[in-house]
Amino acid sequence: MLSKFTASGFTRRTFLKTSAAATAALGLPKMALAAGEPIKIGFLAPLTGAVAAWGKPGLDGCEIWAERVNAAGGITLSDGAHPVEFVAYDNEYDPAKARTGATKLIREDGVSFIMMLGGDTWPGVQPVAERTGMLFSTLLPSDLSPDTTTLLAPAEVHPIYNVTGVEWLAQNKPELKTAVMCAQDDALGLPSVATYLAAFEAAGIEMLDEPLLFDPSTTDFAPVVTRLLAKNPDIICLDTCYSDYVHPIAEQLFQQNFGGQIISCTADFYDQMIAKTSKDFMEGFIFQFPDFDDPALNADTVNFDDPNGFYAEYNKRHPGQWGAVSWEYASIMDLWKAAAEKAGSADPDAVIAAMQEGPGNHAFGDAEWWGEELFGINNALVGDWPVVAIENGKATIKEFRSIPDWYNRHGDLLIKHMQDYGQMWDQRS
Amino acid sequence: MMELLAQTGLNAVYAASYISLVAVGLVLIFGVMGVVNFAHGELFMAGAYAIVALYADMHLPFFIAVPIGMLFVGLLGLVMEWGLFRPLKDNPLGGLVASIGFLMILQSLAVMGFGVRMEHIPPVTQEVVRFTDKVGLPVARLYVIVAAVVLLGALWYFLKRTRFGWALRASAQDPEAAALQGISITQTARIAMFIGAALAGVAGALTAPLVSVNPHMGHSVIVTAFIVIIVGGVGSLEGAIVASVVYAFVHTFVTTFWDGVLADIVGLMLMLVVLIVKPTGLFGSADRA
Repeated sequence: MLSKFTASGFTRRTFLKTSAAATAALGLPKMALAAGEPIKIGFLAPLTGAVAAWGKPGLDGCEIWAERVNAAGGITLSDGAHPVEFVAYDNEYDPAKARTGATKLIREDGVSFIMMLGGDTWPGVQPVAERTGMLFSTLLPSDLSPDTTTLLAPAEVHPIYNVTGVEWLAQNKPELKTAVMCAQDDALGLPSVATYLAAFEAAGIEMLDEPLLFDPSTTDFAPVVTRLLAKNPDIICLDTCYSDYVHPIAEQLFQQNFGGQIISCTADFYDQMIAKTSKDFMEGFIFQFPDFDDPALNADTVNFDDPNGFYAEYNKRHPGQWGAVSWEYASIMDLWKAAAEKAGSADPDAVIAAMQEGPGNHAFGDAEWWGEELFGINNALVGDWPVVAIENGKATIKEFRSIPDWYNRHGDLLIKHMQDYGQMWDQRS
Repeated sequence: MMELLAQTGLNAVYAASYISLVAVGLVLIFGVMGVVNFAHGELFMAGAYAIVALYADMHLPFFIAVPIGMLFVGLLGLVMEWGLFRPLKDNPLGGLVASIGFLMILQSLAVMGFGVRMEHIPPVTQEVVRFTDKVGLPVARLYVIVAAVVLLGALWYFLKRTRFGWALRASAQDPEAAALQGISITQTARIAMFIGAALAGVAGALTAPLVSVNPHMGHSVIVTAFIVIIVGGVGSLEGAIVASVVYAFVHTFVTTFWDGVLADIVGLMLMLVVLIVKPTGLFGSADRA
């Protein structure tokens, strides 16, 4: 901490901010836990509303994770073992509700760590994080900035991993030369647009049109699809559209006779898409989130504990509900548990220090803390990410590809497109 | 280019069809009862969930599920009229606030009954009426267009050629004079609410297999419907239909030739221009129905 002050200069302003933070921290509930007392983890994500599909399945996965950990003896800190329990707060993807939820989880529930989806809700929570020093995680590293050192993106580097799908496509289907893209105009869609543009440019795939942005309240996608098809592209990219959009867009592509390649960040409930289109139409659909019964996840390099068993248990409890985030919050808890046990404490500062001491055990393999160029801070855990294709009606991991390797070769393109869309950390208001 | 124009035109006709069903129902309720029904989007949602329950879950044939859904939402309208709007008939603001409360109740019931995620509804048909390789109209969309023409035609006939319809129009034009002629205002309000709700319900039911059905799907529909009835003239059924067509064509063409975000802005601009040039709307007048 001292070196940080000397490196940047300990100004009067810094002193005042630090003093204020320390004063606020003194007013927080005591973090120390009595022996055997449960460790409470906050789950602050949309559990209802349009974005609930990226919150609720994660909570369901965490409940399974907690049962597994508690059955194995809990989390062992320096004062002994503690069971873990989750305290959920539905922020409805609303910044004001997220802020209320964060305050409540910290002050009333005494949580040691808060997991979030992030995105539009992070600006509401950021002042609480800065004031209290609470450790937060987000699934969206575009929330990261040097202003908040206690925010980590340890599960996914959305949308940067999307480059792996495009790169795989370019290498395995070189006949595909042109693409078009659509996206909802929001905090999830725009950084993903910039990333896909960089990935297509790096792969030598020509964009035939500007990305077609639509309002998140859109329900009829026929005009969007008509526009996409007007240029006769080889590839249609669905960016990071919510499943409420991916499904009707895919159905429209089918009905408007598209026979080319589709690539998307997610394909949640792809079985339903197959039912609405056809198995042949969905064959080869590329996305980034595997089913955890995939045999490729049993490789020694994968750090997620018993992915096949987790998937089976999840589907037993929540049939047909497996989605992109079902495993992600649980994988963050794996990292947090390992760091807390290493530190012997659930204190946020101690856990962050332990977590960032060397490479991290990301679900898909060992990874590095990264992100200073893009996010202004090395708080994103980045390594390999799977490229998934639908084959014979089933999601199949085609390959794990390295995100840092791609970035080392094409990082300048990514930064250029992120800047064009105002998505660099220093451009965000 | 001709193919692109033709496909966009077909997309616009579909959009105009379901928007007009919703907007005409909203106008009818306002015209007769003087209530701005903010829960109208949720009646559309209720129609869609009726299809989830009857067609997707209970596997009833789609064309049996749709009229049942329409009837169910019409009955919901009667419950609203009896429980909310009639007790508050002398307080238009009270009716508006009550409809917002009912909106939340319907959303919560949908969440409790079906969960927060979008519902999967198997396609009714995957047939497409194909004009050329690049121009086609999915038959499921054709159903919506045909239903809108038939139902709105039937409504026109009912309002213009039947005694109940005359009573409804008389109540909308001057409730006191209508009452003096022996027309039951309560009865006409009940009929208007049933028909208005049923139209929203059938729009939701018919489009359910074509959109993402979720508890919040009514929001964008009600916003569009309000724009349409302001452009058409608040209280004018003809205006609602014409404005639905104008809005659908403008929105669809702007989305296809520019982008969807701009289309929403242009839609709002259309409303602003009409409000400036003709504040009563295209067909607005004292004759509300």
